[in-house]
Amino acid sequence: MSADPGPLEVNGRPVERASIPDDERLLDTLRWRLGLKGTKEGCRSGDCGACTVLLAGETVLSCLALTRDLPALPVTTIEGIEEDPVAIAVREAFTAEAALQCGYCTPGFVVATVGLLKELGPDVGVDRLREELAGNLCRCTGYAAIDRAIRRLARGGP
Amino acid sequence: MPLTLERPDGVDAAIAALLSAPDAVPIAGGTDLLLDLEAGRVRSEHLVSLAGLPWARVERTGEGWSIGSTAPLRRVERSEGLAADHPGFVEAVRSVGSAALRHRATLGGNLGRASPASDLLPILLALDADVTLVGPAGPRRAKLDELLRGSRDLALGRGELIEGVALPPRAPSAYAWQRVRPANDISQVGVAIARPPGADRWAVALGGVLPRPCRVPAAEEALTAPTPSEEEVRRAARIASTAARFASDRRATAEYRRRLVDVLLRRALARASGGARP
Ligand SMILES: Cc1cc2nc3c(=O)[nH]c(=O)nc-3n(C[C@H](O)[C@H](O)[C@H](O)COP(=O)(O)OP(=O)(O)OC[C@H]3O[C@@H](n4cnc5c(N)ncnc54)[C@H](O)[C@@H]3O)c2cc1C
Ligand code: FES
Ligand code: FES
Repeated sequence: MSADPGPLEVNGRPVERASIPDDERLLDTLRWRLGLKGTKEGCRSGDCGACTVLLAGETVLSCLALTRDLPALPVTTIEGIEEDPVAIAVREAFTAEAALQCGYCTPGFVVATVGLLKELGPDVGVDRLREELAGNLCRCTGYAAIDRAIRRLARGGP
Repeated sequence: MPLTLERPDGVDAAIAALLSAPDAVPIAGGTDLLLDLEAGRVRSEHLVSLAGLPWARVERTGEGWSIGSTAPLRRVERSEGLAADHPGFVEAVRSVGSAALRHRATLGGNLGRASPASDLLPILLALDADVTLVGPAGPRRAKLDELLRGSRDLALGRGELIEGVALPPRAPSAYAWQRVRPANDISQVGVAIARPPGADRWAVALGGVLPRPCRVPAAEEALTAPTPSEEEVRRAARIASTAARFASDRRATAEYRRRLVDVLLRRALARASGGARP
């Protein structure tokens, strides 16, 4: 185990990393160490986006990041974006369109949509937002409703 | 896996850490390495993090563009002015995985893995990119084409790291690819073309071929015109699709890959040379 990389801030709370094993992935830290089960494990290999969280506001796949290798930047999971206005808009769009079936992919889609809307700005077109979300899979294939929710959120034309 | 992660805060410390254990390997974004470790394709108990190195920058220099090896690909694709100067390179970067993957994945990692299916190696070969390296013996500079020995085989010395890639100031270029799924899947075939100012022909490079992405000089000979004719494109595509060794695997048969070369080369040329799109 190497030198303590300093605390990681998860949803506003500092998480000491001194005792976390070097090979632990952020996904496992979140789910099993911190009990934040909203972040899902779909594939554990970068393919599905179910494990998407925000690192300093940017989408990252928590299944492919070592907890102790991350810079000391804030991590936000689905549990931590409640108060955010963009997140509220995304939640309302997903709810209005009933954009979920079993719900397993939903936290990943919501977090990814929030991150991308913030990164690319409110004028991101529908086509761009859809393209950028292509890394998120829905195993129930509920894409039509998810697509309608995305269309509500992306203004600024295609 | 009992695994240790070293987090050096400078280049010398990183090189020392790599030399300190025979199985030490660098980790950048980890998007290839963690899966390779899990599958046993790479065996190591000593990871050396590159997160603390000062190479995460993308900048215009006196001779062109310098892309740091540890810059996340997302930062590369969003660098001001890069898409205008190197449209094909940015197309290739944007094809890698997904936005979330590219927030962590790096150019150095893509080169370091040297996959035959890499989406970044073909365009870098077409641009005749230089790779800058730093090792125990100091810095050096080499052509990517010379470093790329074979599948997953980059000619790096022990303890040597990729510092970055140097591109010319600008070059009309394009990267056309085909896959089963647009995101988070690697290309069946990728065709990169580029024509730096002063060049007397289009450079053509292929990905998805064995043992590694390569230039196709015989096809390039048919593409001397800035906007090649239909006959010239057909000839170049025919040569390119027979010159390389295509893989047959779960993503595509060799025959299908050969046929893709024709359509992808046309698309790339149409985009980069202003010709009609097929
Ligand atoms: C779901 C998914 C989708 C993907 N899609 C694509 C795709 O579409 N196209 C594509 O080309 N690739 C794709 N990849 C592969 C991978 O994401 C890329 O190759 C990425 O650029 C690797 O960068 P990294 O920083 O994560 O590398 P790492 O995993 O950190 O490293 C990869 C290798 O390079 C070595 N290395 C890293 N940095 C350096 C350095 N500076 N100097 C020397 N050696 C170094 C490491 O030791 C390791 O052997 C995909 C991967 C996944 C998981
Ligand atoms: S669990 Fe991370 S991408 Fe599927
Ligand atoms: S709603 Fe079931 S996986 Fe998407």
